[in-house]
Amino acid sequence: MSADVSDLSLVRRVQSGDKGAFDALVLKYQHKVTKLVMRYVRNPAEAEDIAQEAFIKAYRALAQFRGDSAFYTWLYRIAINTAKNAVVSRDRSPVDYDLDTQNSDESYELQGRMKDAETPEGLVLTDEIRTTVNAAMDALPEDLRTAIVLRELEGLSYEEIAASMDCPVGTVRSRIFRAREAIDRRLREVFEGGLGRAEELG
Amino acid sequence: MNEELDSQLSAMFDDELPQAECELLALRLSRDRALQARWGRYAAIGAAVRGGDIRLGGMVAYEVSSALASEPLLADARERPMQPTGLTLARWWRPMAGAALAASVAALSILWLQQNSLPASAPLVARSTAPSAAPVEAPASYVVPRALEARAMRMPATELANYVVAHSQFSTPVSRGSLLSALMASESAAVGAPEQAAGAAGDPDHHADDSP
Amino acid sequence: MQTTRPSDRLAWFVFALVVASTATAQEPRLWLERMNQALTARNYDGVFAHWQDGKVEMLHIVHRNQNGAVTERLASLDGSGREFIRTGNELTCYLPDKRTVIVETQSGEQGPLLAGFPTFDEKSADFYDIRELTRTRLNRRNTRVIAVTPRDEFRYGYRLWIDESTAMPLKTQLCDAHGRIIEQVVFASLTLASRIPDSAFKPEVATDGFQWLRSAPRAAGPEPANASALWSALKLPPGFRMTARSAQIMPGAQDPVAHLVFSDGLASVSVFVETRSEVVPADQQPVAGVANVGSASAFSTVIDGHKVTAVGEVPPATVRFIASSVKRSEAALSAASPGH
Repeated sequence: MSADVSDLSLVRRVQSGDKGAFDALVLKYQHKVTKLVMRYVRNPAEAEDIAQEAFIKAYRALAQFRGDSAFYTWLYRIAINTAKNAVVSRDRSPVDYDLDTQNSDESYELQGRMKDAETPEGLVLTDEIRTTVNAAMDALPEDLRTAIVLRELEGLSYEEIAASMDCPVGTVRSRIFRAREAIDRRLREVFEGGLGRAEELG
Repeated sequence: MNEELDSQLSAMFDDELPQAECELLALRLSRDRALQARWGRYAAIGAAVRGGDIRLGGMVAYEVSSALASEPLLADARERPMQPTGLTLARWWRPMAGAALAASVAALSILWLQQNSLPASAPLVARSTAPSAAPVEAPASYVVPRALEARAMRMPATELANYVVAHSQFSTPVSRGSLLSALMASESAAVGAPEQAAGAAGDPDHHADDSP
Repeated sequence: MQTTRPSDRLAWFVFALVVASTATAQEPRLWLERMNQALTARNYDGVFAHWQDGKVEMLHIVHRNQNGAVTERLASLDGSGREFIRTGNELTCYLPDKRTVIVETQSGEQGPLLAGFPTFDEKSADFYDIRELTRTRLNRRNTRVIAVTPRDEFRYGYRLWIDESTAMPLKTQLCDAHGRIIEQVVFASLTLASRIPDSAFKPEVATDGFQWLRSAPRAAGPEPANASALWSALKLPPGFRMTARSAQIMPGAQDPVAHLVFSDGLASVSVFVETRSEVVPADQQPVAGVANVGSASAFSTVIDGHKVTAVGEVPPATVRFIASSVKRSEAALSAASPGH
């Protein structure tokens, strides 16, 4: 069971005056929080604005955070409240059904949303990203792929994954690490230049 | 990159690193931009594995960091840690920032140039019968358009550059980009040298009577 | 957050057009229009290589369109340190190698979005052949290759590799009438961003001790007798017509310069006429001459004692033709009035 050690060590640094540690927390949760806010507002630019606001609120309230709950649980509540307030203040009909189920990570299709959205922003070579990640995942050896899927998609702990894959915890850690490295390498090809990294050409 | 460090980073990301190591790594993470970038990429990979769009929310950390640059610290910074400004937050997915990029970009350009000095494997064939629709060759050599009977223009380079800039707003976006790009080069105007007839171009003065 | 803004509608329009295009649109001209719209209306951040005259240079462009307000930064990555930053009507050119900053205020007559550049119409089709050469993959993107071929030697042609899903030109070649390549631009990386912060448009050059040269559009008021209204070109190459005129004060100068623009729908040529004429001793008269500025040609001559300079992305013969036919007379007022 997570004692939230990782986040708490960053939180303590922030509480002692280290803003860089807060950057790390935001980096870790920016996608999750924005996706969460998207349940309340459909416009991605607006969702990002609200996510930004939520993080800033969290920063200001962090001095009072005592670790009674996990950091992300606390952040999650701030994000939801910020989103709800934003929706209500726009005079839309208030959200009256319960979306507060923490672990339902819906996926959505960016292109599907495009047809309805007011602004087709954020059209970064999207097909390229999706195909790249999928290709990288497909190219992973099965044990690496299983490990990262169990971790990121199912949210299992290393111990749970070790039990499920019948291997030591150290092996789980290594497999997840190597899976990330492999996908990361392919992602950087896409983001750092359509030609790919210099040393991999020719 | 230090593989042991990155492995610890991966474990810390999953909250599977012992506390003592977490404390140390947290300190490094708050100051090491490359490490932060990797950390950010782990988050993006997680989002991708879950099937979402990586780009959604990808700028939030940057915006938050910029916004918090002017916020007071939560406490007196006893240790005086380095305070990265919003601008230094690693924008790992954006192909810009600093000398490191320039070096890697220069490397890219050399390789691209090499690739393009080979004959194109599938030359484009124009379907038109227009005489000028030559197949595309790899740009191993470029022609510089020369005027016949040209005298070198005597005008200060800056003055000519001003004219080019003033003209650029009336060009198509594509042309404007190249006009301004040309002014980026070390000499803003290359003065055409007087020279002999170029040969193939024919004599444009023949057209002078073809008024509309 | 708010109702659709004009630029968003435009951007949506471009997007919808592109999405619909895969099924129906065959017209190469439409691809050109989409491309021009994408270049103007989208936000993007890219690194490209610019080949010219056997040399290649890497450049970085960031472009943002917010509600029609365009901000843009172009910077050299190869060490000249030069940066051009455009904010609205003002273009600031940082030239650290010359320890100079040039600030050019462009005339506000041109609309911020699409009205500023030549529009290709039916008449233009007489002078250019536009067709799709092929579809191909470039950098793992599906692109349409559009060839714009001039029908005479007064203008240049293009080959454009246009990305099918974003309409951005991933590769562009400028060619002469014989298909020989004069210039090439290729994007090494390109990101279309939802938002770009203001900090992306701040110059990196430190300008302490630099000389600042500013231009200004001509103040409203009665124009002096030498103003642009009295200048025109009586003979133009086929297809060219006057599309704009104004007067402005160039950076570092005191006196206004008449600025006439001629276009054939794709290429454009500016003619600058210095309004100040003075008696110059014969041995100091400027001599007609030609220059290249990148792929643009420039030609300067003297007419009626006024220095006339033509600049444009056309062959040298064309700028010489146009500059030489500039005349000042009463008759010029009725001929070739500004069209569009």
